[in-house]
Amino acid sequence: MDYATIHSFYTVIILVAFVGLLVWVFLIKRKPDFDDAANAIFADEQKSQQKQQQESDHE
Amino acid sequence: MSQTKSLNVDYNYTVVRLFALTTVLWGIVGMTVGVLLAAQLYWPALNFDTAWLTYSRLRPLHTNAVIFAFGTSALFATSYYVVQRTCQVRLYAEKLAMFTFIGWQVVIIAAAITLPMGISQSKEYAELEWPIDLLIAVVWVSYAIVFFGTMIKRTTSHIYVANWFYGGFIITVAALHIVNSMVIPVSLTKSYSIYGGAVDAMVQWWYGHNAVGFLLTAGFLGMMYYFVPKQAGRPVYSYRLSVVHFWALIALYIWAGSHHLHYTALPDWTQSVGMVMSVILFVPSWGGMINGIMTLSGAWHKLKTDPILRFLIVSLSFYGMSTFEGPMMAIKSVNALSHYTDWTVGHVHSGALGWVAMVSIGALYHLIPAVFGQGRMYSTKLVNTHFWLHTTGVVLYIVAMWISGIMQGMMWRAVNTDGTLTYSFVQSLEASYPFYLMRFIGGVFVVTGMLVMAYNVIKTVRAKQGVLEPVAEAA
Repeated sequence: MDYATIHSFYTVIILVAFVGLLVWVFLIKRKPDFDDAANAIFADEQKSQQKQQQESDHE
Repeated sequence: MSQTKSLNVDYNYTVVRLFALTTVLWGIVGMTVGVLLAAQLYWPALNFDTAWLTYSRLRPLHTNAVIFAFGTSALFATSYYVVQRTCQVRLYAEKLAMFTFIGWQVVIIAAAITLPMGISQSKEYAELEWPIDLLIAVVWVSYAIVFFGTMIKRTTSHIYVANWFYGGFIITVAALHIVNSMVIPVSLTKSYSIYGGAVDAMVQWWYGHNAVGFLLTAGFLGMMYYFVPKQAGRPVYSYRLSVVHFWALIALYIWAGSHHLHYTALPDWTQSVGMVMSVILFVPSWGGMINGIMTLSGAWHKLKTDPILRFLIVSLSFYGMSTFEGPMMAIKSVNALSHYTDWTVGHVHSGALGWVAMVSIGALYHLIPAVFGQGRMYSTKLVNTHFWLHTTGVVLYIVAMWISGIMQGMMWRAVNTDGTLTYSFVQSLEASYPFYLMRFIGGVFVVTGMLVMAYNVIKTVRAKQGVLEPVAEAA
């Protein structure tokens, strides 16, 4: 296989992988899982997290 | 806001503390050298006819000091802090982590000695000679072992997105450094690249632009994804977007390097690929910026009271500006005007002082009290003072360079009706002269801000444990 053919395959593989990523992120993976992940950084400050919760309840 | 209660995990903060303090120290040193260089461009006599103090030798010292001493120390400090706290586990291979600190300081000191002596490989941001390059490689591999080792022994199931960015940055910088530093040594202080001609140039700018893309962008985005939500006290705007952001950014950045070599001996198609990839890069860059800024959505009032958050959010605004300006400058016809002018210098500093320095400073103001057992910095007022000094300095700097740069570009390309050049080079230099003073003043503002920070940090570190109570949340 010559250089151009290899790179053509490579480009297609990257495109498929990226579309696959979008499908996984937006269709397969559930939002609550991502919410848990996003909130993980507050695990070390339980108290202030509760405060946050109250704060967002007010909004 | 910065509560430091841990989940009964005994984190290793020693290395974090050391890197955090050296970040401030090297920031002052590197930026002061920058101010000296700015002064030399206005008052050339300031090199005192000493070889060691000439512009050509101090310039690489400045860039190495701010990128590898200041910026990279900030990345070491924050990555060791973030990886422990988000994986909820103590650092892996702590002695190796200590080695990365000592090894990195030796690299910095070796750079500070060899560069003014004129020992250089003459590759931008990769000037250090081969023995120092070898030490960098060893330290970097150790860094990877410590970082990924900590990630592997984590107690959480999910790897938080900040760690993905830090991890991507660590792996890519290792690859970049090793490939670009391939040389044949002829003596202890002299070596020649194994690449030749246009290939050498392409490898260099593949390295150079990805040093920007992975060290100065991906690494600091890792910082952003932890410290912005943490300081704002609310989760990142869209975690989904952050996942797409990561993969899109790392897949695209690696191709953009050739835009540094427009209209050179590099094949035309390679230049065009670099241009197209740079323009597309705008999309993930702005996705990430919006994700960071929108984290504050519904809590904008916090910007009024919290200068640390202001540092972080304004850094993202500068990131947005630079990542719009960058793709634009990578377009060949724009590049024909901007290249080799002060516009490039302005662009780099809007990224380096606006984005990299401000996000690092914001992260440090959050991190330093946390790792020294305090609830807040010694003086929030001084953090605010620093914010305004820094912002004023950056704006003066980049506005001066924009005007000067575009003017230079216009003057260099102006031709008379008979086809001769309208202006000589010296005429464009004279036109730039007042803007060099303006840049110098901007730089003085920035360094003054860093000195204010150093005072605040010393006061915080010296205060008795737990004396500085966290500020009560304004309702």
